[in-house]
Formats: sequence, structure tokens, C-alpha cells
Amino acid sequence: MNDIFIDVDYSQIYKHDQKIGGDVFLLSRNPDNNQIVCTLSDGLGSGVKANVLASLTAHMAHKLSFSPINLTHSAKIIMNTLPVCKERKISYSTFTIADIRFPSRDDIEVQLVEYDNPQALHFAGAEPLEWSRNLIDLQREGAFKKEILSQSQFRLAVGDRLVMFTDGVTQSGLGRSLPLGWRLDGARRFIKGQIEANANVSSRDLSRAIVRKAYALDGLVSQDDITCVVVYVRRPRRAVIVTGPPFTQEKDEVLGEKLKAFEGRKIISGGTTAQIVSRLFGKRIKVDMHSWSPDVPPCSTMDGVDLVTEGMLTLSKVATVLEKKIPTSELPDDAVRRFVDILLDSDQVHFIVGTKINEAHQDPSIPVEIGIRRTIIGRIRTALEQNYLKETSLEYL
Amino acid sequence: MNKKKKVEVKICVGTACFVQGGADLLLYNDFLDPEVLSGCEIEGSSCLDSCKNAKAEVADVDSKPPFVSINGKIYGSVNQDRFCKLLEEAVNA
Repeated sequence: MNDIFIDVDYSQIYKHDQKIGGDVFLLSRNPDNNQIVCTLSDGLGSGVKANVLASLTAHMAHKLSFSPINLTHSAKIIMNTLPVCKERKISYSTFTIADIRFPSRDDIEVQLVEYDNPQALHFAGAEPLEWSRNLIDLQREGAFKKEILSQSQFRLAVGDRLVMFTDGVTQSGLGRSLPLGWRLDGARRFIKGQIEANANVSSRDLSRAIVRKAYALDGLVSQDDITCVVVYVRRPRRAVIVTGPPFTQEKDEVLGEKLKAFEGRKIISGGTTAQIVSRLFGKRIKVDMHSWSPDVPPCSTMDGVDLVTEGMLTLSKVATVLEKKIPTSELPDDAVRRFVDILLDSDQVHFIVGTKINEAHQDPSIPVEIGIRRTIIGRIRTALEQNYLKETSLEYL
Repeated sequence: MNKKKKVEVKICVGTACFVQGGADLLLYNDFLDPEVLSGCEIEGSSCLDSCKNAKAEVADVDSKPPFVSINGKIYGSVNQDRFCKLLEEAVNA
């Protein structure tokens, strides 16, 4: 499993009254050579025309950044390919390309190319960082102005964020709540405040907060398409699920050691397993008699463990919820909901499955839902990987 | 007057007990006499270790889930009626 996780997400609000956006964001992950390319493009004007320009630009920039052609040349190709606007007699669209490569775990390099978009911001924790940009002059044939392309490269460390947005963000509130708009400084201060308030804010939440703020500054009538992209480098959030007693009793110790050493959230699923851990750690299990439903036995609490639940019934319910992609907000507040919440809040999920057979479950009068532990864990893993793109791993004890 | 010690009750909420009637016992707030209820300290247990261990000390002969422990004694095949009776006896003892 990877030791870093690069969380990329974006948020967008179209210009008021438009059903299509003139800002286009593209993201490609290439897991083979550890490369992520993000392209954000803003087309001239708004609506369909802008969308065509921006889509063209973004796709070209995106494809070209995977090819060995040098960036200046690619930018020229893009400029010359764009159709000319009938009213303004120019062909124009802005773009920002972030080419993120991470050959090794603690070495994440970003190649950033910016053309006429507001400057991207780099935060280490909540501190904004400055870096030097190389300016490249680009003289196109027949163009009325000189194009200036800015190119830079820097490293991202764990906890760093790269924030990119279109001018819909920096110009929000222009002539309304703010005479000159929000501007880069305003946005920077706002982002700093957001990160200070919640140091682990996800890319999705941060980009949404920025876009919402810009929208509010515009008086809820957006003057332009508002788009914001956040790239956040962090340690993966991990969870471990321990279920089932080990095949032989001597392995109980191993189970305890593994659980203790794990960094991340811990779930114990299974009454007997919980008792083993309780005995090893010397911690009491307290059953929460309020959080249960007719299908799911109550969950319990134990110091040092995030969630303790019953085994097979809870697990098979969890598998069903994940397979059907049922939102947790629709579930009753029981063990299953808490279980799924923890799973979905993690990037990497590790299962430690004990293989001892529970004789009490062999009684023919017991309902069929009680399947084989390994099958159910398999279902949960498949659902997590395919429906929620999580990394999972498994070991038997 | 000495305050009477509360009866310690543990309801097993392990898989085997839960699916074979333990879930009904968890509704104790609805079917127990409030007077009896006030004399008991009811909590859950993740497993009373009786379902898979035939030699476990079970107070009665018929040892099938769901199991309930009352003041440390384990009773099997407890349904709502039996639960009421057992607790009444324990509280009035």
C-alpha cells in the first residue's frame, strides 16, 4: 500500500442562468508511472461557446502534457488551434496544468504551467508559500498581444495543498460587495482561515467552501463560472477490521499485537473476538444498549478501539449496504451505520480475519444470513474497491 | 434503611443469542414491570460463552440461546415471559 495519498477534487458553480459551464476541469491518474495530471481551463465568454473552447483547450493540454513535446510548443499549438470568436475576433482560453509526479514516496514534484488564470496557491499546512515562476514570452503569428506563459516547478510535502481556480473566484463580488472583487489576497486569506479551522479538511470540502464563498460574494447570482480545484497530499487514512478468533489460541497474542501496532481507526467485529481483545488489553467492553435495530445487535465501546460490533449479522448488513451504495444518512443509527461511516472515511482498509469456526453458528435453527466469514469479507472488499475505489488488504490468522 | 443492591443482569447480544430471541429481550423497557426494572442494572454482553461451551456452568438443564446472566448465574432459552419471571424472583429474593 502507498504511504501517501493525493486527494484531488474540484467544485464548480456555473454563471447565473447558464446550463453549461465555460470552465472545464480534467483529471487523469496514471498509476503505472505514478503520475497525476490536472488541467483547468476557462473558455472565453460563457455558455456553449466557452465550453467548447475550454473543453478543446483542456483536452489538448491534457494530452500534450503526457507527450514529450515541450510545453512552450504545446501552448502554441493550443493557441493556434482554437477557433476565433466571432464578436471579439480573438481565439482565447486560459489554462492551468499541474503535472504531478511521485516516483518515490516522499518526493512529489509538480510541474505547473499557467496561462492567464489567476495564480495557483501553494499551502504548507495553513501557511501560503511563494515560489518563483519562469515567464515565457510567446509571440504568435498575427496575434495582437504577446502571450505570457508562466512555468514553474516545486515539491509538495505531506500536508501541502495546491489550490487552483478560475477568475470566477478572484473576481467574485466585483462591483458589488467588493469594489475590486475578492482578488487573490482575499481568496488566500479565506483558504488560510479554512485550513486553520480544520487542518485535515478534504479537497472536496475545501473546494466547495471556496466556491460557495465566491458565490455568496456575488450575491448568489454568479457573474462568471466559478471553479476551484484542490490537490491535497496527505497520509492515507487507514482502518483495520478485526473479525473472528484466530484458528489456534496461541495466535491470540499475535492478533493483539497487530491491533495495538496499527495506526488508524480500529473496528472489532465479533463478540468472541472482542472478548479476546478485552482480555489481552485489560479493557472493559461496554455494550451500548441504545444503538440497535431488529436486524443488527447493539454495538459496544472499548478504550483504544473505535467501534466494537457483533460479527456475522453486522458484517453481512455492511456488505449489503456497500453493494447497494445506500447512503449512510438513510440508515438508522446502529452498528452498521457507524461501521460503514468509518469504512467510507478511510482510504485504505485492512482486514484481519480469524479462521476459527464458531460451533454456535452450526446450529441448523439459525437463520441463513449467517454465512461464511471469508465470503462476507470478500463481498465487502469487492464493494469497497469497485464502488468506492478504496484500497483493501487481507490477512488470515 | 439499607439501600437494596441492584440485581446485575447481562443480556447476551452475540450472534447466536441475538438471532434466536435475544433481540426480543432488548425491548425490556417495554415489557418489564417498571418496579422490577428499577431494581435491576441491565447491560449487554458481547458473548456469555455459553453457546459453544456445553460445559459452561448454566443454571438450568436446557442450555440453548438466548442466554442471560442474572447475578452471575446463566440461564438459557430465555424468552420475554421467562425473563420477567426470573427478574421478579431475583428482585424479590
